[in-house]
Amino acid sequence: MSVHALHKLEPSHKPQPHLEVVPNLVRELSGITHLLTCGSVDDGKSTLIGRLLWDASDLYEDQRENVRRSGRKAAGTDLPDFSMLLDGLVAEREQGITIDIAWKYFDTDTRRFVIIDSPGHEQYTRNMASGASHADVAIVLVDARSGVKKQTKRHTAILDLVGVKHVVLAVNKMDLVGWSEDVFRKIEADFRTLCWKFNFWDATAIPLSAVFGDNVSAASDNMSWYSGPTLIQHLEKTPSRVSEAGSVFRFPVQTVLRDGQDFRGLAGTVTSGSVKVGDVVVDTLSNASAKVIRIATMGGDLESASAGQAIALQLDVDIDVSRGAVLSAPEMRPVAAQTVEARFVWLSEDEFSPTAGYLLRTSTDLIPISNIEIKALLDLETMASRPARGCGANDIAIAKISLGRAAAIDVFAETPETGTLLLVDSVSGATMAGGIATAVNSKAETPVDGHFVLKRDMLANGLNRDLSMSSTDREEFMRRANEVAIILRAAGVAVAIEPPPPVDDGMDPGL
Amino acid sequence: MTASPSHLDLLESESIHIFREAAAQFRKPVLMYSIGKDSTVLLHLARKAFYPQPVPFPLLHVDTTWKFRDMIAFRDRTARELGLDLIVHTNEDGIKRGINPIDHAPSIHTDVLKTQALKQALDKYGFDAAFGGARRDEEASRAKERVFSFRASGHRWDPRKQRPEMWHLLNGRLGTGETVRVFPMSNWTEKDVWRYILREKLEVVPLYYAAERPTIVRNGQILMQDDERLQPRDGEKVEMRKIRFRTLGDYPLTAAVESDADTIEAVVAETINAQTSERQGRLIDHDQAGAMEKKKQEGYF
Repeated sequence: MSVHALHKLEPSHKPQPHLEVVPNLVRELSGITHLLTCGSVDDGKSTLIGRLLWDASDLYEDQRENVRRSGRKAAGTDLPDFSMLLDGLVAEREQGITIDIAWKYFDTDTRRFVIIDSPGHEQYTRNMASGASHADVAIVLVDARSGVKKQTKRHTAILDLVGVKHVVLAVNKMDLVGWSEDVFRKIEADFRTLCWKFNFWDATAIPLSAVFGDNVSAASDNMSWYSGPTLIQHLEKTPSRVSEAGSVFRFPVQTVLRDGQDFRGLAGTVTSGSVKVGDVVVDTLSNASAKVIRIATMGGDLESASAGQAIALQLDVDIDVSRGAVLSAPEMRPVAAQTVEARFVWLSEDEFSPTAGYLLRTSTDLIPISNIEIKALLDLETMASRPARGCGANDIAIAKISLGRAAAIDVFAETPETGTLLLVDSVSGATMAGGIATAVNSKAETPVDGHFVLKRDMLANGLNRDLSMSSTDREEFMRRANEVAIILRAAGVAVAIEPPPPVDDGMDPGL
Repeated sequence: MTASPSHLDLLESESIHIFREAAAQFRKPVLMYSIGKDSTVLLHLARKAFYPQPVPFPLLHVDTTWKFRDMIAFRDRTARELGLDLIVHTNEDGIKRGINPIDHAPSIHTDVLKTQALKQALDKYGFDAAFGGARRDEEASRAKERVFSFRASGHRWDPRKQRPEMWHLLNGRLGTGETVRVFPMSNWTEKDVWRYILREKLEVVPLYYAAERPTIVRNGQILMQDDERLQPRDGEKVEMRKIRFRTLGDYPLTAAVESDADTIEAVVAETINAQTSERQGRLIDHDQAGAMEKKKQEGYF
């Protein structure tokens, strides 16, 4: 539709200013890059972020003037103290939030950048992991005088765990090592060796000086031996997660929208792949499939939609699909998982308790957990695991979970967007841990020894006597069983629910 | 062949996603509608999130009785034209006690007629979630704000009870007595708001556009004499100036800027080339150090 046609549709009585779209005013940037900075104040983190803002961004003039007028200088130089630009970011405005991530925004000529900053102090694992979970690219900062350290190993391990694919090693303070290429090459080689262990798609080392600005936004005159990109050039070329989402279509259903008798739309955001009108989609939990007949948005219907787009899908037949379902193509489905193996970053101050009554949150589902066990803890420096039964704040735990009912879950390494998980305390609602699914299985497991087992027969003869075998009643059966389990766990009883007998889902066993 | 989405497309989708998550997870949400440009965008995003269904929750406006008259007219017309369920709440007790922004310190006025009034309204209707248009770029104390910001009973913001947010997973399970503020526009900037208003051809309150208006200069700030309650003091006089507003609130607490920007294009151009960031026009922020932070702990946005 042309601009003129739109104008004709405007109601004429509105006292609206004349709207003439001027393209350069509606400057839409080519995308958003979420940038995590890892490192300590000693590595020059604040100065680097300040320098990025000063050199590359569209700062307000009053913010620049504040820095100039303050008279504060970067240590040992006659240059302004760029770290002043971080206002809310640094710990001086500590609010006491347990997990403390600050967000700051700046634009270059082509892209929006979002700086995600988390404190670098000792309790940083959970802070960094939650910050990194939002990042498209991470800058790992090292001091050229000390190179790759234990902390660098921990940082890269956390980045890999939560799915960051692009990493930049910023070798800072090159001025303090005489701009030496040998020093840089040694650190670069150590970094390469370190990164072989991980699943990064791109790991680049850049020599720079945040204080003097060398290779931040302007190429360095002091390091003519370096021919690679400046930090900003490199960041501008780094694609975002959403643009690199896989080709496997996933659509977690958030809610059902209705408009009179004619419209029942499944609302959600495409998390990976794409969908177009005419595609057959399936709900892996009910095994029901249907054809997409309309992709609705308020801006007009679409022919197709891809990762990152929030839409509503109308299907040709009214299959019983609601919140929590994940629509996919029939041949590439998520698993209707009964058990999940996962790696969790423990976020809560409260330690893991096998009897607490946790719930599992996936993209749009909240699932009762019938049994959860910690199997091991992961050492981020060596990547070795050691057996364990419990965990606490900042631990990386390997856990095995039996679900109270099936849920659509992917393996994170294959389809990250639908393979992420939160552990939620069912009573307080608190987020205990964030994690990734490493293995999912559609077969239920027999409960382990030492647990009180809520037998299905026992429940059927008493509490659930009024229920039939209809699908809604079977759902109600599990809901009650889970409620009982939650109450018993709160009273300190280790409980497991006997898994339901396998349901014949009509699927070809060969699939 | 579709072009890759622009940053505004991505922000819009993210906001829609947040609206839908909150509407699905909370029992009784409400949209806090303050009539300004951020609320205009917030409301537009809510309509998009549930299209073709009508917005499935009411709008709440906390009226201090000191809003610009143009704001109230705009509010009522918007609700009528879009068929929205609008709730207007005023702290009648505060009005009876004579609290006002001219004789009282801005912090007292704000506490009684905004913060207390908001709490009253949320409690009266039993809302468990309130959408707001706050952005992380607005002010330092908001840079760490969550998308789902939890409040203990009594609407207290307890820093230790704030939940970490990872990936796109939003955990809205409420503990006993908890409520939540939801900020779908957390990642928008002021420039994005204006660019989006221009792109989506949204109508905003005329006060954002420059016009000749009666003004009084007080403490170096230009105030508009919106009605007879604001009178010049000794040495002050009412003069016509061509002014506009970058933020809107209670008129005696909202400073104007002198400007010729009387079209949306001119406003956007002025904003993008702005010399000062937006909160310098909001007088309550200068009232005391760390003002925003304190107000937040007390339950104001």
